[in-house]
Amino acid sequence: MRSVLFAILIGLVGAALLHIVIILALPQFTGKDANTRVLGLYEMDSFFALANEPGPTGLANDDPFLRVAVCGFSIDVAPVRFQASGNVPFWSLSVFDANSNEVFSMNDQTSVNGNLDLVVATPIQLVELRKTPTEKLAQSIMVEMPEQQEGYAVLRVLSPASSYEEAARSFLAESGCEPLRR
Amino acid sequence: MFRIPLLVALALSVAFGVGIASAVSALKATVGFGAIALGPWVAFPDAQTANADPYARAHRARAGKLLYGGAEGLQFTAAVDDAGAKLSAACSYDITGLTPPARFWTLYAANENDVALRPGPELPSAFNALMVLRQADSSFVIHVSAEAQPDNWLAIRQAGAFKLVLTLLDTPTAGSSGVVDLTMPKIVKTGCGDA
Repeated sequence: MRSVLFAILIGLVGAALLHIVIILALPQFTGKDANTRVLGLYEMDSFFALANEPGPTGLANDDPFLRVAVCGFSIDVAPVRFQASGNVPFWSLSVFDANSNEVFSMNDQTSVNGNLDLVVATPIQLVELRKTPTEKLAQSIMVEMPEQQEGYAVLRVLSPASSYEEAARSFLAESGCEPLRR
Repeated sequence: MFRIPLLVALALSVAFGVGIASAVSALKATVGFGAIALGPWVAFPDAQTANADPYARAHRARAGKLLYGGAEGLQFTAAVDDAGAKLSAACSYDITGLTPPARFWTLYAANENDVALRPGPELPSAFNALMVLRQADSSFVIHVSAEAQPDNWLAIRQAGAFKLVLTLLDTPTAGSSGVVDLTMPKIVKTGCGDA
């Protein structure tokens, strides 16, 4: 009887260890995390507007009043520039790294003139950009992404009533997420 | 003679059974630590950041949702009413009061997997700050019910439990960490069944 109790106790210690291992290791092997889903859309370097119903990747416009577009990007070779403009009541952008940690987020009131113009770069690329300022990047917000070279961006546009729908759709359709060429 | 293998098997089955079950149930039970709870409404302002705890990281990797950044907004969900009872589609509820300061808010009902309920294109399934009918003091009353209601009616056509999701867009609430006295709308049960 004593040895049975001892076996259960050993089992519980093992269970505690396994619990910790599962929780810590899970982000590496779920295959369902947001970054994998965004990459599963096979759309690099442009914003992909999500549908209202979940597609094969499971991503959709969760909120009935927000239209969402996602873009997977890599700043390995060149910085990436996000651009969008249009007459919408509210938009917001979040940039996440490949581990789904937030790197930067903004909305239309924290932007210049209400237009989205954001450059995400590695620290070295950023030094290059600052050394040789160009006219076309004069209004751009520069953001440093130190640790990782890959990630995804989420652009949300508010469409509070059906009459705003077209403006929201065209805002997303005309938004850009392209490698910066100089 | 089979005593030792039997004991090893027992220890291993306890380790794997309890370990896996406890990890899965912990991830199902909560999004992680660091929640802001205002009455029945719960939000996780740090869940999308690098400061998120291991449970929050595991949960967000498993759910795979596109979370709201700090400057975008804060999403509150409520799975219970003000009395602490689980929200059930068999009952009717009134959501009354005001939201914390935000540039805009949206409200919709979702199922237990956080997917928005879509009762049908002809039914009002969601509200926002622009379309809600307000009283003279700018507070609002939203009736959540499976049956048609006057004024603000949030239709739920579904059996079982549901959640309410209130998203505050561009809100200072995300950074306040509970220091400011925030008042969320109340969720009060008004009746159950056909009565």
